[in-house]
Formats: sequence, structure tokens, C-alpha cells
Amino acid sequence: MRALGKAASDDDRPLIERVRRGDQDAARTLYERYFDRIYNYVYARLGRAEDAEDLAIDTMTRSLTRLDLFQDQGVAFSSWVYRIAHNATIDHYRRHGKVTLVPLDDATLPQSADPSELALEQLSNEDLRLAMRDLTDEQQQVLILRFFQDLTAAQVADIMGKSIGAVQALQHRALGSLERSLKERAN
Amino acid sequence: MTPEVERLEALAERLRAVEATIPSPAAKIRGWNLVSAAVQQSATVRSRSHSVRRLVLAAAAAAALLVAGAVAASADSLPDSALYPLKGVVEQVRGAFAFSPSDRLTYHLDLAKTRLTEAEAMIARHRVDLASQALTAMNDQLNDAALVVQSEQGADPAIAADLQNRLLQAIAVHDRQLQGLQGEVTNPAAQAAIATARDRAQKAVQVANAPASSGNSGNSNPGGKGSASPHPTPKH
Repeated sequence: MRALGKAASDDDRPLIERVRRGDQDAARTLYERYFDRIYNYVYARLGRAEDAEDLAIDTMTRSLTRLDLFQDQGVAFSSWVYRIAHNATIDHYRRHGKVTLVPLDDATLPQSADPSELALEQLSNEDLRLAMRDLTDEQQQVLILRFFQDLTAAQVADIMGKSIGAVQALQHRALGSLERSLKERAN
Repeated sequence: MTPEVERLEALAERLRAVEATIPSPAAKIRGWNLVSAAVQQSATVRSRSHSVRRLVLAAAAAAALLVAGAVAASADSLPDSALYPLKGVVEQVRGAFAFSPSDRLTYHLDLAKTRLTEAEAMIARHRVDLASQALTAMNDQLNDAALVVQSEQGADPAIAADLQNRLLQAIAVHDRQLQGLQGEVTNPAAQAAIATARDRAQKAVQVANAPASSGNSGNSNPGGKGSASPHPTPKH
């Protein structure tokens, strides 16, 4: 995933201090740094551009106007923003239920000569996105953060409040579940 | 690498190759307009709340200074002063910390002396009513002091003798002062009040000399429990 730019870092701290003092330029820099990533994250979870826009805006608004709360969290600003986005998606699910644009029954996956093998090169991005919705919430989260967002296991651990080992184990299980889901859809 | 791990690695690589979904430029502009407005409003609210917090702190500091100043000023207040009730409160607090018989005696004798000084001042200001109240309060304190001596007689006669000696000396000093005052005043009501005060002071001596009884023993409580109050209620 490319085009999402650099994930956050210690560079955020001076900007955060400036935003606290009402500096609009610093707020703009942080907005530019995170908005696309958060939109991408939420879109991967919800599958609807309109909802992803609204939740990404809501996440950025909360992140930049409630910095007093961030001070007490003890995590990186980037992790805090992702946590807000995650909570916003969970809240969205509660209010609206899980939404998918394409009915799962209509999704057709390419079949390989050997039914036990997946023809990965023939899978479309949408096939992958749809199959991911069969996974648990945590499995989806870890795959999106690790592979769609290109974050390290340590960064994902910080966001999810888990150890790096737990994230790696979760990632392994998530990939296994995704593979099974793709095979079931192909057959 | 096992076949399963190889397969999962390949799947992970495929996931990495998924193109990023990015918001439309219009969505991004709309988002920034909303976020910018919220950040500006938040900064304004925070600034206001800081101002209010500073104001509250300043008001609290001013109130604390005012109370401390009033307490300090009340120490020298007289019965015709607005701060005089506060003086009574401070005296009662002080009495709550007098635990030993010696401390309790000192407390009552100090208050008796203060009441006498107040009575003299009120007579000088022609406030015979307040002077009379101050003298009554003085006698109450002397009586409480006598009860302290009396209750100690049963517990430790040596200490009781020392306390009694201090009480008698104080009463003698007060009596000389009252006698001088009596010679100076011409107001009959004031003279009568002083004469009564001198008589009651002598009765306190009798109380101190009397053996402790269940009715009297331990009746003297610092802070004005033995008497109604360590100082009279002022009338303005």
C-alpha cells in the first residue's frame, strides 16, 4: 500500500503542542498526515465510501479537539488516532449493523485447477475485501493495519493494546481464516 | 518454511498489493473545513476555561486572604465590633486543644483576663450593657478555672495546689483591677456590675477550695462547655 505516506512518529509531538494552542497550520499538517490513512482504514472495515468519509472526519475532529485526553493515554498519537477510528467503526456497527455493498452470494471467485489451491494472482482486490469480512473483528483489524496500512507489528501492538507476540499470533490465525474463507467462496 | 507458512506468506504479499483506497479531493476539503472549525472552537473554549479557572483561583486566594485577615483582626476586637463573634469562634477552637489541667487552667485564666480588658474598654465607651456582659463572662471563666482546680484535687493534690495558687493569684490581680475601676466609674449600673463581678470572683475561690464532688468534677470543659461561651454575646 503505497500512497498513504509515512506513518506517524515523534514528529507529531511539537505539532500537537501547537494544536493545543490553537495553531491551525499544525492542525492542518496532522490532518494531512492522517486523514487518508484513517479513511483507508475505515473504508476497509465498512466498505462504503460515504460512511468512511464521515467516520474519518469524525475521527480527525475528535483527535484534534480532545488532545487533553491524549496526554493521559501513554501511547503514540498515531495509535491513539487509530484507536478512535476503531471505536468509531465499532460504534457504527452497533448503530447500523455490518454493511456490505456487494451481496456475498453474488461474489464469484476464480477457481484454480486444484480446488485445494487458491489462485492468488487471479483474486481481485474486492474478492479479498469481501472475504475479509468473514473474519472476526480483531482478525480484520490486524490484517488491515499490517498489510493495507503497512504498519509494523510493534505499531499494531500499540494500537490494539497487545503484545507483539500476540499480534503475530493473531496475524497468523487471521491469514489462515482468510485463506479458508477464500477457498469456501471459490468452491 | 512449511507449505502452510509459504501459502500464508503469499497471501500476505497479495494483501500488501491491494491498492490503497483514498478519499476524493472533495471529501478531503469538506473534512478539513469541518475539522478546522472544530479545532478553532475547541481552542476558544479552552482559552475561556483557562480564564475562568484563573479567575476562580484568584477569587479563592482573595477569599482565603480575607478570612485570614478577619481572623487576625478579630483577635483584638471588642464586644461592640462586627468581628467580635469571630473572636469567640477562634477562642473555642483554641480551647479544643487544651488537654491537660494546666493547659485548661491557662486557657480559662487567659479568657477571664481578656473579658476584663473588654469590660474596661466598654466602660470607657459608656457601653455599660456590654461591660456587664463581659464581666459575667469573666466570672464564668474564673468559675470554670476553679472547677479545673477542684477536679484535680482528687487526682493529684500536688498539681492541684499549684493550679490553685495560680488561680488565686489571678483572682487577686483581677480584684485589684476591678477595685480600681470601681473607684473610677460614676455610673451606678456599672458600679453594681463591678461589685457583682468581685463577689462572684470570690465565690470562685470557694469553689476551688471545695472538695471535688460528682456534680462538679470534670465540669470544666475548655471551649466554653462549663460556661455557656468563652465570651459574651455582643449586642450592638
